[in-house]
Amino acid sequence: MSVTDDFVRSEYATMTVALKIWRFDASTGERELKDYEVEAPEWACLLDVLDLIKDKVDGSLAYRKSCRMMICGSCGMRMDGAAVLACKERMKPIVDRGHVPVISPMGNLPIVRDLVVDMGPFWNKIRAVKPWLDAGYDEVAEKERIVSQQAMNVIHKEALCIMCGCCVSECNSMESDPDFLGPAALAKGFRFVGDPRDQDGVQRLNEYNEEHGIWDCTRCYFCNERCPKGVDPRDAIAKLGAESIKQGIDHDMGAKHAKWFITSAKTTGWLRETELVPKTQGVVAAIKQTKFAIKLFRHGKVPLPFPPHVAEGVEEARGLYDLVINEGRRGALGIVQAERALAKISEEHPEGTPAWGTRSNGDSA
Amino acid sequence: MGDPFERRLGVKVAYYKGCLAALSAKELDTSTKALAPRVGIELEELESVTCCGAGDIHEAEPDYYLHLNARILAYGEATGAETLMTVCNVCTLNLRQANVSLQKDDDLRERVNRNLEAVGVPPYSGGIEVKHLLWMIAEGEGFERLQESAHKGLKGLKIAPFYGCQILRPSKILGFEDPDRPWSLEAIIQACGGEAVDYPAKIKCCGFPIIQAREETALGELIQPIEQAMEAGADAMVTPCPLCHLSLDAWQQKLEASTGRSFQMPILHLSQLIGVAAGLEESELKFKRHVVPVTPVLEKLEA
Amino acid sequence: MRAAIEAYDEGADVALLSKIHPVRSHSGAAEGGINAALGNASEDDPEKHAFDTVKGSDYLGDQDAIQVLCDEAPDDVYQLENWGAVFSRTDDGRIAQRPFGAAGEPRTAYAADITGHVLVHVLYEQVMKRDIPTYEEYFAWKLVIHDDRCQGVIAWDLLNGGLKTIGAKTVILATGGAGRLYTGTTNAYACTGDAMSMALRVGVPLKDMEMMQFHPTTLAPTGILITEGCRGEGAYLLNAEGERFLSRYAPNAMELASRDVISRAEQTEIDEGRGIDGNVLLDLRHLGAERINERLHGTRELSLTYAGVDPIHEPIPVRPGAHYHMGGVDTDLDGLTNVTGLYAAGECACVSVHGANRLGGNALMETITFGKRAGRAAAEWALTHTTVSVPPSIEADTERELKELLARSEGERPWAIRDELATTMHENFGVFRREEQMLEQGRIVEGLRERYERVVVDDKGDIFNNDLTQALELGFMLELAQCMVVAGLARKESRGAHARPHDYPDRDDENFLQHTMTTLDGQGQVQLDWKPVTMTKWQPQERTY
Repeated sequence: MSVTDDFVRSEYATMTVALKIWRFDASTGERELKDYEVEAPEWACLLDVLDLIKDKVDGSLAYRKSCRMMICGSCGMRMDGAAVLACKERMKPIVDRGHVPVISPMGNLPIVRDLVVDMGPFWNKIRAVKPWLDAGYDEVAEKERIVSQQAMNVIHKEALCIMCGCCVSECNSMESDPDFLGPAALAKGFRFVGDPRDQDGVQRLNEYNEEHGIWDCTRCYFCNERCPKGVDPRDAIAKLGAESIKQGIDHDMGAKHAKWFITSAKTTGWLRETELVPKTQGVVAAIKQTKFAIKLFRHGKVPLPFPPHVAEGVEEARGLYDLVINEGRRGALGIVQAERALAKISEEHPEGTPAWGTRSNGDSA
Repeated sequence: MGDPFERRLGVKVAYYKGCLAALSAKELDTSTKALAPRVGIELEELESVTCCGAGDIHEAEPDYYLHLNARILAYGEATGAETLMTVCNVCTLNLRQANVSLQKDDDLRERVNRNLEAVGVPPYSGGIEVKHLLWMIAEGEGFERLQESAHKGLKGLKIAPFYGCQILRPSKILGFEDPDRPWSLEAIIQACGGEAVDYPAKIKCCGFPIIQAREETALGELIQPIEQAMEAGADAMVTPCPLCHLSLDAWQQKLEASTGRSFQMPILHLSQLIGVAAGLEESELKFKRHVVPVTPVLEKLEA
Repeated sequence: MRAAIEAYDEGADVALLSKIHPVRSHSGAAEGGINAALGNASEDDPEKHAFDTVKGSDYLGDQDAIQVLCDEAPDDVYQLENWGAVFSRTDDGRIAQRPFGAAGEPRTAYAADITGHVLVHVLYEQVMKRDIPTYEEYFAWKLVIHDDRCQGVIAWDLLNGGLKTIGAKTVILATGGAGRLYTGTTNAYACTGDAMSMALRVGVPLKDMEMMQFHPTTLAPTGILITEGCRGEGAYLLNAEGERFLSRYAPNAMELASRDVISRAEQTEIDEGRGIDGNVLLDLRHLGAERINERLHGTRELSLTYAGVDPIHEPIPVRPGAHYHMGGVDTDLDGLTNVTGLYAAGECACVSVHGANRLGGNALMETITFGKRAGRAAAEWALTHTTVSVPPSIEADTERELKELLARSEGERPWAIRDELATTMHENFGVFRREEQMLEQGRIVEGLRERYERVVVDDKGDIFNNDLTQALELGFMLELAQCMVVAGLARKESRGAHARPHDYPDRDDENFLQHTMTTLDGQGQVQLDWKPVTMTKWQPQERTY
């Protein structure tokens, strides 16, 4: 609904909501943090409050909206620096603790005006992952293909993505490398790699293994944290990594780096740290790093590889490897199998897991 | 026993030090061991354990990752301790993530246990909780003991807390504190008599996981906390993660080389920071193992 | 998007134009599913589907159109699956189907409770695959009519500002409804009936505009949709006394009666004091946590976020809310209107397959089947005709009209008019309708239209000026409201969504088994006409569930 006067006046208790909003005037390039205060019903979400401001205070405030029920993905923006869907954020708890949140546009995308960003770069990356099912044939089959629900569950989370851009907004890698495909596009990529009906998995994996692909991910987990739909894009990237290794696609330094950990765990139990650089970057590149390495060596940062530091019971770790490698759970399935347990957390705490630490810093941030 | 801090019985934990504290960050291990009794933690070090996989095995062979971590958890549980204590963000996330999978999915745990038993590892019943040193001493008994121990204080030193990623996110798995408004490092800095400086990048990534495969991208991340901490007037930074430490400390020189700027920001492990306040010896703190000298901080304290 | 894909595949040079990005479309909010007689969950056939639809429509649906829909639906669904739609599956790996209201068989194919989302994204994937040019965030305002045919669209470019003319041999209107005419609606902010009004302004009649469907399960106060899939999975509706009150209204079908029947039952319970704060209760608890989490995950999320209720532990308070416009742009079976080159499909159109009451799951199917047909027909016409011309005078007139609106600085801003319209429509043209309230609403809308003549746009800028577009949307909605009231007054019977229990409680096939047709005259006033319903093999019967 629109936040009509009627709702404000009668039926529902109201509250005074204060916001600071970063305004941006594209014609002048000026930015300004402006204060707003409106009376809103207690059930109002951030989007309702923005609507009230636009109606009653300043019609020129620009932001996107449509469904107001967390499915269209229009209203991604930042509240106190964290990307949110404006239609999902309840304001009452914020008002209750006397906080005045700062509203700004999403990060990692050019600002068009006020809270509106240019989604063009976002969609270009989606397009770059070949975002459609490659059925392997052109003619449509007469009936549906037979696929088990269990097989389709592999891409259950990725299929939830609404393309709002909240993950991209916060991606630490993309901040540093704007060409990184990023969490949304890669999650979309896994939506096809993991789909048993898609016939182009290996080619896709090869492409996603290119320079700005999956191994660019710095594992900051901001995408998982911010995703309003529980897609967990970082996990999707890990699934792509696991599928790549399973398919023997390991030319990227990131893949070599990851594989060295497996070798280490199997042979000595602990990471064979000193050999990590040559195993990741190759011997030639590693020699170029010699000066750096010598300096680290002087401070004990490069332990001598010999004699190897071998963990007790490493043969057990090796035995486990030999066992599990043949149990059919390699690749993405190894991550998917943990999702049932993860889902239980969300089911137990549907409104977000409360911090279990006993103290809080109140509103000092 | 003359030391008043050791008279009270500590809480026993299974101590999993992880790769770095065993190798390039030995100073983390020695300072943790020296500090533990003073903050009421009795360490039972796990010997028969391996690397947690550092996110890399999770990404490359996730099923193997789960088994490796299950093995660590099983040996942790076998000590009889309720807590498996870590000193590294990455170990914390890896172990907690595996623990959630095993605790909340009986079928999965049964399968993993079958494999553990096949290679002679005791089965894991799901009975141990993984906690980072930071969480052990940020509140409760640990925090009380910390306040008593940090008698030497930090004399108002300005310390920039750097959390890193995998002790905050995903909060669904870690969940100790609000990932956007963490407070634990600040509480500890203050309890030690220091001043915690605030800056936005304290919860962001140090770039470490891709520092070898994508050095340029990683350095682009690394510069943010260092630069911001400097601008906030920090004398030093403190981190609960040896990987962040390695990135912030060792790669700082690469950052200096690529930007042509001088940062010289000393980086302390959490156990070292408290250790300084608690008066641990250099033999335990091992600051000589740092690339960026910590001496300016120590001199400031002596002054 | 379905129309664009078909037109492209037919070889036409096609572009999409939308005021929001295509994946933001409100079809994505359709939760429950899409109806096709696949027969995966029971013995089913298109004939049964057609009968259920005819009966559901309270016999106002055109039976030839319904036949087309039900016959083509299975292949169209298979095609969606082939394109990659992530449907839920049966134990033997086929597309799963669940029971839905007023359907004789479990016929609703679904993807958990995000079916619309899945279909919108699969269609956009196909649009990207074909690289169909897309004018995103272009706000369509005027249809270009020249030489007695439609030759394009004039739109406001939201991102960059300015009016843009897109010439085209054929134009297909494929937008949604006008739920924003009501305060409590399941519809998105974007659902302001733009295309219906644009067509109306160029002389296309709107059919059955009084037929606004009220969905029985929407969340107070905002009207957010709780899917019929809940009842398909077995949820109960309870009144304040904990009674499954539908036993008194639809003893056989109970919670799976048709939407109009249930909405009226709920409203009666609420009006007679057996509601709870203006709601009844939708109880899912007996379904158990596992089933709720697996099949109704989105419902739980919505209920928690917008009602603070966890359906695993508590019943959800729900009430009827404006949901779907059965009425719309009058078209033939290929989506063609009475204007050459102008087609319509989807909610904005009225073929009519829904008549006086739409069955859950038939809306998505209609968008696909008739989108496809309109796309094909429009492409065929375009490929056999060569010229497009947009006279500069049309552009100049539009430009002038826009400047006039933007130049106005004295007057009221649109929001008060918008809010008053939505509140009064809810009061006077809701689930139950009275003659005097409809007359009153007619006067109110007229007054609002006068006020709208002097409306002021606050934002004078070019870039992302949605203050301007929201004012234009209000203009669309006011005209539609008037059509609805005029048609509602004329239909002196109770049929489907049009319920007049106080003066005309019964269906009157003798006089009103026909469509209302509304047009605008030269003065902008609504004129009413009638059009017979196409009947093939099903004669009207009494409608009970």
